[in-house]
Amino acid sequence: MDRLSPFEDELVALLPRLRRFAHGLSRTAADADDLTQATIERALRSKAQWQPGTRLDSWTYRIMRNLWIDTARSRSRKEKVEGPPEEAELLGEDPRESMDASVDLARMMKAMSRLPDEQREVVALILIEGFAYREASEMLDLPIGTVSSRLVRGRMALLAMMGER
Amino acid sequence: MEADEKFFAWLDGELNAAEAAEVERRVGASPELARLAAEHCAMQERLKRAFGTVADAPVPEQVRAAVRPPSGQVINLDSVRSTRGRREWGSLPRWSAIAATLAVGILVGTLIPERASGPVAVRGGALYAAAPLNRALDTQLASAPSGDVRIGLTFRNQAGAICRTFTEPAASGLACRNDGRWKLEGLFAAPEGQSSDYRMAGGMDPHLAALVDSTMAAEPFDAAQEKAAKTNGWR
Repeated sequence: MDRLSPFEDELVALLPRLRRFAHGLSRTAADADDLTQATIERALRSKAQWQPGTRLDSWTYRIMRNLWIDTARSRSRKEKVEGPPEEAELLGEDPRESMDASVDLARMMKAMSRLPDEQREVVALILIEGFAYREASEMLDLPIGTVSSRLVRGRMALLAMMGER
Repeated sequence: MEADEKFFAWLDGELNAAEAAEVERRVGASPELARLAAEHCAMQERLKRAFGTVADAPVPEQVRAAVRPPSGQVINLDSVRSTRGRREWGSLPRWSAIAATLAVGILVGTLIPERASGPVAVRGGALYAAAPLNRALDTQLASAPSGDVRIGLTFRNQAGAICRTFTEPAASGLACRNDGRWKLEGLFAAPEGQSSDYRMAGGMDPHLAALVDSTMAAEPFDAAQEKAAKTNGWR
C-alpha cells in the first residue's frame, strides 16, 4: 500500500477549505466538487512547480481560481446562446431558514453567483476564506487597489441582495 | 460621511493603528456609518456560517479519491514519463514484454489488419476514426464512459490540434483533429488475454504512452477543459 507523500498529505488537509472556496465560486455544489477534483488533479500533475517552503494553500487556491476562470468563460459563452439556467429567485427572508446554515448555503451560493466573476472571487477569498487583501492580490495578480474596490462593490451588491438587517 | 474603501478596509482589519483610529472616530460620529458597519459584519458572519458548513462537512469520497485514486482509474502520465526514461525493455513487467511481441503496433503509414467493423477508415491514404469510434471521440468525456470505447487523455499536440487517447475492446490508440475529423496517429492491439480488461487502468499500453509523450505539447486537459473543448467542437 502506497503511503501518501507529505505534499499529498497537505493537499488532503486542504480539501475542506478548497471545497469551501469552490462553493464560493461555483453555481452548484456539483460544479464545486468537479472544480475541487480538477484542482487536485492539476495540483498533483504540477507538483514539480510548487516550491517547498512556500504556501501550498495559496498555490492551490490559485490553481482553482484559474481553472474556474477558464470554465467560467466557456460557460458564459454558452449562456449567451442559451440564456441563464434559471431565473434567480428572490433571496427573501424566511428567518427560520436563514437560521439553518446548511439551508442558507444554497441562498448564499445563489447570491454569490449573481456577482460578476471579478467581484465574486475577491469576496470569496477575503470575506469567506479570510485572506488578507495583499494575499488575495498576489493570488489574483491584481493591484491591491483593484482588489479593494472590487471587494467594496461585491459586498455592497451582496448586502443589497440579502436585505440583511 | 460615506462608506469608502477605507471604511471597509477598517472592517477587514487592513488599516494601521493611526488610520483605524481615524475611521473609528468617523464611525462613532455617524449613526449611518455605524449601522452600515453592523450590517456588513452581519452579512459576513452569515456568509462564513453558510460556507462554513462546507468546510465542516466530511469530504466526499470522490473528491478525496482525487488525491489518491484507487489504482487503475487515472493514468498518471508523470509516472509514465518518469519510468520511461529509466526503464529498459528488459525491466518492464513480463506481460508488457510479451505484449510488445504480440502487439500489432500500427503507426500511420503501416498496415492494419482487416476488420469487419473496425474502428478505422482510410481516406486519402490516412487513417481516420470510423463511425462508432468517431462518435465516441466526438461526444464522450473521460469522466463519463459509455459504450465500448473509453476515452483517456485529451490534450493539444505541438501543432495545436486536440488529440485524445481511447481504448476499445481490441485496441487502444491516439487520434488528433485534422480537417474536422479524427485522424489516427497510432493504434495498438490489446495484449493477448487482456482484451476484456480494457480500462485505461494502471497500464496504458507502453507504445501508446510513448506516442502520447512524444505528441503532447503541454499538460493534458482536466475535466473542465475537456468539457469546454467538446463545447467548442474540438477546435
